[in-house]
Amino acid sequence: MTSAGRRVLVVEDETLVLINLEDILEQLGWSIAAQAMRLPEAERLASSVEALDVAILDVNIGGAKVFPAAQILRERGVPILFATGYGRDGLPPEWQDHAVIAKPYSQADIERALDRLLGADV
Amino acid sequence: MAELDFARIFEALPSPFMILDRDLCYVAANSAYQEVVGTPFDRLKGQNLFALFPNEGEAGERLRQSFERVLATGKPDTLAYINYPITDADGTVTNRYWTAVHVPLTDSDGTVQHVMQNTVDVTDLVRMREATTLPYGSISAATRLIERTRETEASSAEFRRLFQQAPAFFAVLSGPTHVFTFTSDSYIKLIGGRNVIGQAIAQAMPEIVEQGFVELLDRVYSEGHVHAAEGARVMLENEPGQPPKETFLDFSYNPIRDGAGNITGVFVQGMDRTESVRAARRQRLLIDELNHRVKNTLATVQSIASQTLRSTSDFAQARRSLEARIMALSNAHTMLSDRHWHDAELGHLVCQELSAFGDEQVDYGGPALVVNAKTTVALALVLHEMAANAARHGALSVPEGNLAVRWHRDGEGQLVLEWIERNGPTPAETVRQGFGSRLLRMVVTGELGGGLDLNYDQNGLRARLSIPATAYAEQEARFD
Repeated sequence: MTSAGRRVLVVEDETLVLINLEDILEQLGWSIAAQAMRLPEAERLASSVEALDVAILDVNIGGAKVFPAAQILRERGVPILFATGYGRDGLPPEWQDHAVIAKPYSQADIERALDRLLGADV
Repeated sequence: MAELDFARIFEALPSPFMILDRDLCYVAANSAYQEVVGTPFDRLKGQNLFALFPNEGEAGERLRQSFERVLATGKPDTLAYINYPITDADGTVTNRYWTAVHVPLTDSDGTVQHVMQNTVDVTDLVRMREATTLPYGSISAATRLIERTRETEASSAEFRRLFQQAPAFFAVLSGPTHVFTFTSDSYIKLIGGRNVIGQAIAQAMPEIVEQGFVELLDRVYSEGHVHAAEGARVMLENEPGQPPKETFLDFSYNPIRDGAGNITGVFVQGMDRTESVRAARRQRLLIDELNHRVKNTLATVQSIASQTLRSTSDFAQARRSLEARIMALSNAHTMLSDRHWHDAELGHLVCQELSAFGDEQVDYGGPALVVNAKTTVALALVLHEMAANAARHGALSVPEGNLAVRWHRDGEGQLVLEWIERNGPTPAETVRQGFGSRLLRMVVTGELGGGLDLNYDQNGLRARLSIPATAYAEQEARFD
C-alpha cells in the first residue's frame, strides 16, 4: 500500500498516545491533515478539513463521546477507524459495523487496520 | 349424652393416622393408613416402623429425626415433604411422597408416651408439579407447604408463623380480583408497610397495574400455569408517600387449588434481589473502567518507551529516562489512588517532581488548587519532563542556576503556572525541539485546551501555562 500524501484526521485526547500515533502514521507515510484532542475541535475539523482519506477516532475524549464528530464524517463518506481501550465492546450498536482497533496498538496493527479498511491495493 | 367412642372416630377418619410407642413400634393405625401402606394392622402391630419399612436414605433419617424431636421436646413436628417408598401387599415397591405431622401423646406427668402421625399422600400432587417447569426447588416445596396448610388446619398456626417470618416474601391472593388474604412481614416491607389485607391488588398497589402484573395474575388464575421470573424489574412504592422505586425481584405466581382442583387464588412468593442486581451492575462498571484504564495506561507507557528509545542511541541514558518517566506516571497514579481517582492537589504534583532539588536552587509555591484526575496525569508528565530538562540542560544543570515555580488561579478561574529558570546555560535547539517540549505543547494547548508562552533566553526557559477551569476542574473524569 502506498500511503504517501494520503490525508488522515486524528482525534485522540491523551497526549502521549497521540504523539505515538502521529509517529506511527508518519512512519507509514501518511500526512496528518488535522488533529483534535477535544470534542468541539473534533466536530469543527470533521466538517471543515478537506480531502480526507480516513479518520482515526478515539471513542472517549475528555469525558465525552466522539460520535457527533463521527456522524459528520460518516455523512461525508470518510472511512472511520475507531480506537478504544474497550475494543469492539466500546462501540454502541449503531457503530458496530465500523472498524475498531483496541488500545494499545502497534505500528503493524495500525497498518493492518488501515489496509483492511481502505483496501490493500490502493 | 352418649360417650363418644374415640376409637371408632379414629378408625373412621378419612386421613391416614397411626400411633407409635417410644420404640417407634406400631400401637394403632386406622384403616385409611392400612390402605395407604397396603398392610393390614395385624402385620403392623408391635412392629418397628423402620424394620417394616426400611429407609437408609435421607428421607428415613429425616423421619427418624422428626420422631426423636417429638419424643425429646414434647412438641409437634411437621415434615412438609418427604419422599418415602412403600412396598405394597403384592411386593411391588412404589415411590411415594408424603406430608407428615407428628403429634406427641403424653401421660398425666407430661411425658411423651406415644407419637401420633398423620400423613397425606401428596404423590399425585408432586407428579403434577414435576410436569410443570419450576425455576427452583424451594418454590414447589413452598407451594406444597401452602397446599398442605389448606388441608390440615391443625398445624396452620405453625405454618403461618413460618411464612410470616421467612426471609423470602409470600402473599396469598384470593378470588378472581386477587384480594390479599395473607402477607408475610418481608412482603409488607417490600411494599412500603401498606396494610393491604382484604383489598384487591389493583386497589392496594395501583402502581403495578400498568406494569402488567394484574394481567399476569389474571392469566395464572384462569389458566392455572405457574409464572416465574428472575431479576424482574418492578417499580414499587416501597417507602410510604414516595414515588415508586426501581426494584428487582425473583418471584413466582402459583395457582392455589382446592380439594376438587379448582383454582381459588394465587400464591405469590419471591426474593428481593435489588441490592444484588445493583451490586452486580456497579461491579460490571468498575471492571470495565479498570480494564479501560489499564489499556490506556499501557498505551501511554508504550508511547513513553517508544519516544524514549527514539530520542537517543545511548542505552544507559534511555534506560534512566524511561525509568524516571514511568516513575513519574506511577507517582501520579499513587496520588490519585489515594483520593479514589478523583483529583490531586497541584502543590503535591510540583513537590513530587522538585523535592529532589535543594531549597537554594529551587523555590516553588502557590495556593491549594485541586485538579481533576486527567489533568493530574497530564501535568505530572509535563512537570517531570520540564524538571528533567532543567536538570540535564537547563538552570539546574549548573550550580549557580535556579528555578522558581509559581501558580495561582486568575480572574477567569484559569490555572496559571509560571516556570522561570535563571542563571542557566542558553538552551540548545535540540531541547526546544525535544520530546519534553513537544509533550508540553501538546498537553497544554491540545489536551487541556490552554495557552502556553515559551521563552528560551540566555537565562534558560521561561514558561507560562494557563489552563481553563473547564479542563482542570473536578469532574467525573474518564480516560481514553
